[in-house]
Amino acid sequence: MRLAVLIVLAVAPLTSTSTAADASRNLTYERDIRPIFRAHCFDCHGATDKLEGGLDLRLVRFLKKGGETGPAISAGKPDESFLLTRLRSGEMPPGEDTVPAEEIAIIEKWIASGANTARPEPESIGPGLGITEEERSFWSFQPIRRPDVAELTSFPSELRVRTPIDALLLKSAAANSNEAIQEEGHSGHASFSDDADRRSLVIRAYFDLIGLPPAPDEVDKWLNDSSDDWYDRLLTELLASPHYGERWGRHWLDVAGYADSEGYSTADSEREWAWKYRDWVIRSLNQDMPFDQFVAEQLAGDELAGPINGDLTPRQIDLFSATGFLRMAADGTGSGANTPDGRNQVIADTLKIVGTSLLGLSLQCAQCHDHRYDPIPHTDYFAIRAVFEPALDWKSWKVPNARRISLYTADDRKLAAEIEAEAVKITAEKSVKQNEYMKQALDLELMKYEEPLRTKLREAYQAAKDKRTDEQKQLLTKNPSVNISTGTLYQYLPKAAEELKKFDARIAETRAKKPVEEFVRALIEPPNHTPETKLFHRGDHQQPKQTVTPASLSVASPSGQPIQFSLNDETFPTTGRRLAFARWLASRDNPLFARVIVNRIWMHHFGKGLVSTPADFGKLGTKPSHPKVLDWLADEFISNGWSLKSLHRTILSSTAWRQSKEPSDIPSAFPVPLQRLEAETLRDRMLAASGQLDRTLLGRPTKIKEDDTGQVIVDGTQTRRSLYIQVRRSRPVAMLQTFDAPVMETNCESRPSSTVATQSLMLLNGQFILEQAAKLADRSRGEAKRSTAEQIELVKHIRRSEIQEWQYGYGSYDETSNRTGSFTPLTHWSGSRWQAGENFPDPKVGYVSLHATGGHPDILGRDVIRRWTAPAGGQVKITGNLSHGSPNGDGVRGRIVSSRSGKSGEWVAFNGGTDTPVNDLTVEQGDTIDFVTDCRTAHTSDSFNWPVTITLHLTGMKDRVAVSQDAFHGPAESIETIPGQITRAWHLALCRQPSPEEMQLAINFVTEQVETLQRTPTAIPKGQTATGQAMTSLCQTLLGSNEFLYIE
Amino acid sequence: MTISRRDFLNQNAMGIGSVALAWLLQQERAHAIPKNIPKQDQTYDLSLKEPDFAPRAKAMISLFQHGGPSHMDLTDPKPALTKFDGTDYKEDVAYSFANAASKKLLGTRWKFRKHGECGTELSELLPETGRIADDICLIRSMHTGANGHEVSIRYFHGGIPGVLGRPHLASWLLYGLGAETQNLPAYMVLTDPGGQPVDNINNWSSGFMPPLFQGTVLRPKEPRVLNLDAPAHLKGEPQAQNLKLLQTLNRQHAKRFPHEADLEARIASYELAARMQTAAREALDISKETKATQELYGLDQKETREYGTRCLIARRLVERGVRFVQLFLAGQPWDNHSNLRTSLPAICKRTDKPSAALVTDLKQRGMLDETIVHWGGEIGRLPVTQNQGSPEKHGRDHNGQGFSIWMAGGGFKPGMTYGATDEFGHRAVENVVTPNDYQATLLHLFGLNVDELIFPYNGQVQNITAGRKARVVHEILQ
Repeated sequence: MRLAVLIVLAVAPLTSTSTAADASRNLTYERDIRPIFRAHCFDCHGATDKLEGGLDLRLVRFLKKGGETGPAISAGKPDESFLLTRLRSGEMPPGEDTVPAEEIAIIEKWIASGANTARPEPESIGPGLGITEEERSFWSFQPIRRPDVAELTSFPSELRVRTPIDALLLKSAAANSNEAIQEEGHSGHASFSDDADRRSLVIRAYFDLIGLPPAPDEVDKWLNDSSDDWYDRLLTELLASPHYGERWGRHWLDVAGYADSEGYSTADSEREWAWKYRDWVIRSLNQDMPFDQFVAEQLAGDELAGPINGDLTPRQIDLFSATGFLRMAADGTGSGANTPDGRNQVIADTLKIVGTSLLGLSLQCAQCHDHRYDPIPHTDYFAIRAVFEPALDWKSWKVPNARRISLYTADDRKLAAEIEAEAVKITAEKSVKQNEYMKQALDLELMKYEEPLRTKLREAYQAAKDKRTDEQKQLLTKNPSVNISTGTLYQYLPKAAEELKKFDARIAETRAKKPVEEFVRALIEPPNHTPETKLFHRGDHQQPKQTVTPASLSVASPSGQPIQFSLNDETFPTTGRRLAFARWLASRDNPLFARVIVNRIWMHHFGKGLVSTPADFGKLGTKPSHPKVLDWLADEFISNGWSLKSLHRTILSSTAWRQSKEPSDIPSAFPVPLQRLEAETLRDRMLAASGQLDRTLLGRPTKIKEDDTGQVIVDGTQTRRSLYIQVRRSRPVAMLQTFDAPVMETNCESRPSSTVATQSLMLLNGQFILEQAAKLADRSRGEAKRSTAEQIELVKHIRRSEIQEWQYGYGSYDETSNRTGSFTPLTHWSGSRWQAGENFPDPKVGYVSLHATGGHPDILGRDVIRRWTAPAGGQVKITGNLSHGSPNGDGVRGRIVSSRSGKSGEWVAFNGGTDTPVNDLTVEQGDTIDFVTDCRTAHTSDSFNWPVTITLHLTGMKDRVAVSQDAFHGPAESIETIPGQITRAWHLALCRQPSPEEMQLAINFVTEQVETLQRTPTAIPKGQTATGQAMTSLCQTLLGSNEFLYIE
Repeated sequence: MTISRRDFLNQNAMGIGSVALAWLLQQERAHAIPKNIPKQDQTYDLSLKEPDFAPRAKAMISLFQHGGPSHMDLTDPKPALTKFDGTDYKEDVAYSFANAASKKLLGTRWKFRKHGECGTELSELLPETGRIADDICLIRSMHTGANGHEVSIRYFHGGIPGVLGRPHLASWLLYGLGAETQNLPAYMVLTDPGGQPVDNINNWSSGFMPPLFQGTVLRPKEPRVLNLDAPAHLKGEPQAQNLKLLQTLNRQHAKRFPHEADLEARIASYELAARMQTAAREALDISKETKATQELYGLDQKETREYGTRCLIARRLVERGVRFVQLFLAGQPWDNHSNLRTSLPAICKRTDKPSAALVTDLKQRGMLDETIVHWGGEIGRLPVTQNQGSPEKHGRDHNGQGFSIWMAGGGFKPGMTYGATDEFGHRAVENVVTPNDYQATLLHLFGLNVDELIFPYNGQVQNITAGRKARVVHEILQ
């Protein structure tokens, strides 16, 4: 995006003139020459009353007359025109700016052809550049004109003209492609690509309108809906979703420059209550507040709020919250820059936000001089500034904290005052205590000195600073450690500091009892405040010139004359200027506002605006690709009472939007590219897929923190939608920034969509995606679909050699060989323990059972056995504790038996516990170590606990630790469920089933990865199995795939 | 734009060719540009830039010694201090720790002797540095004027005492010169396994410059680069399998949308990412170094292994085109307020050999000519005792009035000392060098003019010294 802007910048001055260079056309001053002078020369030669060299370039007759060095041009004689000499030599303009050779050539040609004007020049002109007819005729300053649209039914039905948008797009494409038709030989009708299939359309609508994926059952619901109006109802449902406001609120917050911090200084202090504005935006959009009102409340909520009588009404709180819009600019006046510069910077940034978001103009470029390219005089800039001056008065400024509006009620305030009185009392107590400690510290320190020095030092120290004798001063200098202060007290009496801290804690505790005081960051104009606005020469507040009164933008006003706003509207306690400005914005006369807004909406739906520079509808911006569509939408928007939701519905109902993005045989009349998910949507989609998304609406921002490398991440496991993550200007969240979320300096006019390797690294290795992939794998396992018979056939090849590290069974111990005699796996899983069958005790083998920490044997020979299998060879060390709780019976016996070396230990526990250590046991991969517990002689009261920890020491690698109770598990999952898990993962991540080929691919992947992991079982993360890990990898791949990242 | 982009990628279907790479890097630039700078402002990127004049140095390794090495005990012999040991110091002293403040002069407990042909006197605590005396330029007259750690650290890194939020010297170098390598970050920071240095992540901030110019922190242990290395369980074959599956799915997906250059670009960017993983891993793999080299850096000894490893990594990074590498120690081990007699030898032991080895190694590889090595802290220490009760527990308090650093390579005059402190080592009195002079001199060696390397910020142009007086110290340059 940025690159595009720069390219445009480079060529823009040419576009206006290159067509003019066409030899067949008559060059005129107004159309061809003046724009060049505006860009390079007028600053010193015409814009102000100070004319360098006495030369004024605003009229041709002034050019001919020239300045101090004689005529600037001689009509018909370029060689005798001094102006050209000066331009060619590069002497003019001074400094680094130069007039490009092509433009000089145009000037030359114009002089040669007689230096013509378009019409007779006026007898006299006022100060400044004024606005010419040519400038006013620029497309964006023309009134919005609703184009004629043919009856939709008049189009052949196969063209699928569903809305006037489609009719206009097709008409425009047909007009453009006349030549192309002949060349490429396809039929004369422009047409759209096929409609996207229903699934794609559902997904697209979800992301466009609420920024979240449809859940699998939601997809199914819409796929199975057989009614004709399913699509209409889909839109209705999504537009009614509270998540709509979140999605579209985020778009608006970009242009408004939303941030939870003040910026400016490196402290970048928190803007604690900004989120009240964010919430207001979300709520207002959810209510479908008419957009003219939406903007009026943001510009002038305080003027609409009426007088404050006692506690604020909910309506007043809303209106004040809305004015947060005018408080979004970075503001250093609360952090060291409360200076004329700092204040004027805040005003300038605020005007930039107003200009780019509401007018689509680079208003800020007229801050120091007339706009170089657009007809925005310097005076217009200050006329707009005058609209805001009474509320944003740099000579009567309030710093951020002083302008917050408390939401305390009178009752809250009374209670708070009582509590504060209590806190003050404790503070006094602390002060008494501190004085005692200071005295103690001094006494102690003085003990290091002998008399009489000691007394002298004491006297010196205790003497008032300004009363100390020279001798006393010298004494203290020579013995600096006697200079104890409250700041260094902790160095002398560390305990004192602790004690004093306790007071602080009590004070804090008391204050915490106050009712929570909330605030809004509002812009509230003081009543009867009408400061004068001065035009600043070169934008410098130290060079104020004439007074300027509040008015509309000249060029965007019907007659080319600015509409003057009342200096002080008597119907309001405030001046009413901002309200008047808001009304002018939304008036039918304003050619910009409605176009700018509908263009933004279009941009978010199609990835690109009809005007691709959404914040610049001026000369350096691009022209609308489809001006009629833009005008039709703008008019429709106004006619529908500025309803955004109607506008969405209109656009989403169009065939243009419903097209498939796969290319069809005939190129589409309006091809639409895939859109990459925005940063927030990407994170939200991952959370939605993994099932972790917390859908709570509104409220305080999610905290962020820096990890140990300085990367900013979300603090802890907060999983709310990304728009709620705190926006610190200087601390952008790494994951969001990597995917192009704006780093708010002022505001963000449109986001780039970059493709960089750091994104890929993050998707391959980033902590967040790894976590979400694991959760998605877990979720898919829990919600696995039933695998089909054919699918089960496919997974047969997954090797079952996966070593079961822990097994649970019963059997006997062979006293003669000192080894385990028999081992029969327990086959029934109760949900928390292994037992022999469904019934307990089992009719055949009785009480044998094992749970996480222990179990129960039956009679001798039906001992319970917890078996560990070594995943690799090495040295084993075992710790554990065998315990038996009952005073009845005779307790239990535990034995540790190695398959390689036999019994390694034997213990008895009866109504108590005993440690069961074993050291230096050598094992090879696959060896077993059994923990055999029997009933001793009496088979009664034999419940026992025997948690063990096995540390396997491997040469050259980290020790592997196996903890029996942590590893305790139910039946290993069956390989047969894997296809069902894959299907579910595909549903959750990509909202569809895998194709048979994809299923085969995925199963091959899992098979291969399981095999790889089994070759080095020690690399499998703790608590994970090889298949589990392979499934997590599969899920990660889905979350990082292009299909996940791009919406078709 | 769209068409040409696609052509690039098609022509390089076998992998990422240089053109696609260039395009991706172009994207990196576009990505890094803050969106609200005025339109006429330049874009920011890491492509190679022409310096103002012929540079002497191409890269720099800074061995930052947080805490304030005690110059009177290490690099700046003071016979007078020894002579008047235990007597009262006559001058004013600013203390940071009032409770232990004293005026008693404290002579060094260690012997100094001359080293090399140049005869630079160094303490017995730095025997290995002694061996490279003929290669280094020792500045004994550094001055920050402030005793606080952070104040002086920020002065060295960012150009103004105490002020946060300014770009690091290295950010300025990157901004002015670009990067020599496209497979590795151009500005890397090597932190200590013991933890962050004092002032934390501010030590490698790009301040008001885009994050493109920020230091990339190598973690003190594996994985040394965040997100660059696969998690342990995916390393190697499993991740290769993941990537293969991913790219298969991506290619199938892209087949449906043949006009979407973005999809192709993302496929390529995954491959580039994989390549970066390899490049960084290779750069960080010191097992390829010979035994002799490893021993040179002290990798065979417990005390020096950790710091030596990082010094060696620093050399490998510079060898592969990294512009700037800075090493930090955890906390501030040179902040010897107490137990000077034991704590100072301990930190010397840990750092002396690896630091000297770096210079020796660079020299024997012919890299020292173009690589600057910096060794030094943000302040020095006071000539008076910080009283901790008993002599063996005594230490020294902070001193920003005068202290030493040394520089080597990249155009610095070898085998010289420059400047001097007073007879007790308290204040720099001759040829005083400030951090701003240090910055100007370094930029000069990189072919940059300190006043002309400017960055627009907050409607003003900024340079590294924020317009403060800065002098290129030509006397110490070859």
